Amino acid sequence: MSRKGFFTDSTVCIGCKACEVACKQWNQLPDDGFHFTGMSYDQTGDLGCSTWRHVAFVERPVPLPGHDTGVGDFSWLMVSDVCKHCQRAGCLEACPTGAIVRTGFDTVYVQPDICNGCGYCVTACPFGVIDRRPDDGRAWKCTLCYDRLGEGMTPACAKACPTESIAYGNLDVLHERAENRVRQLHEQGIISAYLYGKDAANQPGTGGLNAFFLLVDKPEVYNLPPDPVVPTMKAREAWGAVAVGALGMAAVAVGAVLFGRRGTP
Amino acid sequence: MSSSGKEGPSFLDTLQRRSDGRNVNPSLGTLLGEGAQQRVTDLDGANPARTLLSSIPSRSGVDSPDAPSYHGLPVLKQPVWIATVPAYLFVGGVAGAASLMGLAIDVLGEKALDPLARRCRQLGTVGDILSAGLLIADLGRPERFLHMLRVFRPTSPMSVGSWVLALSGGLNTVGLVLGRSRGVLGAVGKVSGYSAALLGMPLAGYTAVLLNNTAIPLWQATRRTLPLFFMASATASAGSLLSLLPHSPREAGVLRPYRLAGKVAELAMGYAVERDARRAPEVARPLDEGLSGTLWKASRACSVAGLVVDALPGRRRWKQVAADLLTTVGAVTARFAVFHGGKASARDPQATFRPQRRGHGAAEVSGHAMASDGKPFSFPLPVVR
Repeated sequence: MSRKGFFTDSTVCIGCKACEVACKQWNQLPDDGFHFTGMSYDQTGDLGCSTWRHVAFVERPVPLPGHDTGVGDFSWLMVSDVCKHCQRAGCLEACPTGAIVRTGFDTVYVQPDICNGCGYCVTACPFGVIDRRPDDGRAWKCTLCYDRLGEGMTPACAKACPTESIAYGNLDVLHERAENRVRQLHEQGIISAYLYGKDAANQPGTGGLNAFFLLVDKPEVYNLPPDPVVPTMKAREAWGAVAVGALGMAAVAVGAVLFGRRGTP
Repeated sequence: MSSSGKEGPSFLDTLQRRSDGRNVNPSLGTLLGEGAQQRVTDLDGANPARTLLSSIPSRSGVDSPDAPSYHGLPVLKQPVWIATVPAYLFVGGVAGAASLMGLAIDVLGEKALDPLARRCRQLGTVGDILSAGLLIADLGRPERFLHMLRVFRPTSPMSVGSWVLALSGGLNTVGLVLGRSRGVLGAVGKVSGYSAALLGMPLAGYTAVLLNNTAIPLWQATRRTLPLFFMASATASAGSLLSLLPHSPREAGVLRPYRLAGKVAELAMGYAVERDARRAPEVARPLDEGLSGTLWKASRACSVAGLVVDALPGRRRWKQVAADLLTTVGAVTARFAVFHGGKASARDPQATFRPQRRGHGAAEVSGHAMASDGKPFSFPLPVVR
């Protein structure tokens, strides 16, 4: 089995939300409430325990290069967000039960029969993807359609995408396709196009994302962090501080016993 | 379509939404999907309505031209932990520090200090057992608490901590039960108690690493100092609690320097934590504003007062009780301040975005020069480590 992933090309996303619907339907996820948000056409808001695909709608007061909108300076960016299945996954490295595993497809999968709902993965994800459902008590996120992959099928969201904004396949093939697409866009004058999280060179903090993106504005605009880091990379200093603290605690205890005042207080 | 509590679900709701929000008729469809196991009892509780965005969407995410966000929504998920976790951060620390003190007295102290050593071990054991209870109460599936010991994962402070707490609690209990026996059983009890005491040090400190090893800006940024603060605070609180319990004048002679050293270290480390957080103003904001800011200031004030009252001359009992209570309250409040500060930090997207733009993200450890979009970090390079 080879490494699988998603390449999400935001420049061809039309915001139809077919991926959101297909994901809900195939995975039989409960609805996430019918609330009006006022955030453009986005009534979903973010990824969560029961939302594994989320289409972001960004309205900008600047036009895309070469575009004439007829309503002044305005452009619309849309992108379908998903669990990134990081090469170094914060959730996986934080999971104390072994519920979160890496599959043979190089994707990150949460085993619901093992998860005990400690909630540590929720704090460890630098993208804010995984979440614990309060009434279920366990953590949930995109499985990259592990059940479909086992049957040699395409994940539901990619299958449903009418513009191939979501492309699924072997990572090396996707990388080549993405690079060609960026080159093509640059030639067309959209020089702001770039790949987000393609590999470790692009995003050392995660070692690269199996679900990477083609974006045309700052990552923050799409609610993606500009320089994410798997928390474990920084934990060494914290453990070092614990070692120093242990010496200090021992010194204080020993010192108090040895030199504590004798006789009447 | 939100249904307010008074009116009950709307007609459309009852028509379209099955009780589990899946819209699958069980007599016609089979629930086999990856998310079909998700237990749904409270649809609206799991999906509370958001505050309605009232500004123009194209301007909504722009705090300033160089700091955009997505409609001002948080980028990270808020920690789902409940109040038992900060309570555990305190109780576990006290248990660890007290166990260690018991060992030091046992090995180095004279016979007259034996009762104090026993109280230390008792405090440690009770604390360990209470800690386990507090942690299990926080689990989403408490009946699966034993899954914590299913694997050992060194990259996960939660896993390391579960093992440390389980071993420390188990060994402390064995030590306490068998501590007064003779012969082989007594030896087993002694060794158990000593091992538990040594585990007390990581027990008091790992709880900070548990917070540091997350994506939450405030917790991640304080990784060099928070463990020291928690361990100093654990020493101060253990000393204060032991001083609140009845003790002999000889024991008071040992407890006083122990307690005072802990209190001084706690104050110094609290200051260091604050300085660590202030490297980025967005990160430190929760320590100044809101619930966490109030808690943090209150905790610092209590700790200072606890030290000052303790150091004042005079041997009246009420003075000592007041000082120890102030220190304990300060330590508990500090844990809640750090906990709620983390939640507030997760809610603020700029606390994640801006420091990362200045090179405080992955660049701090891997030293690369550009963010993921190929733009150089705005902070003057090279990045200070």
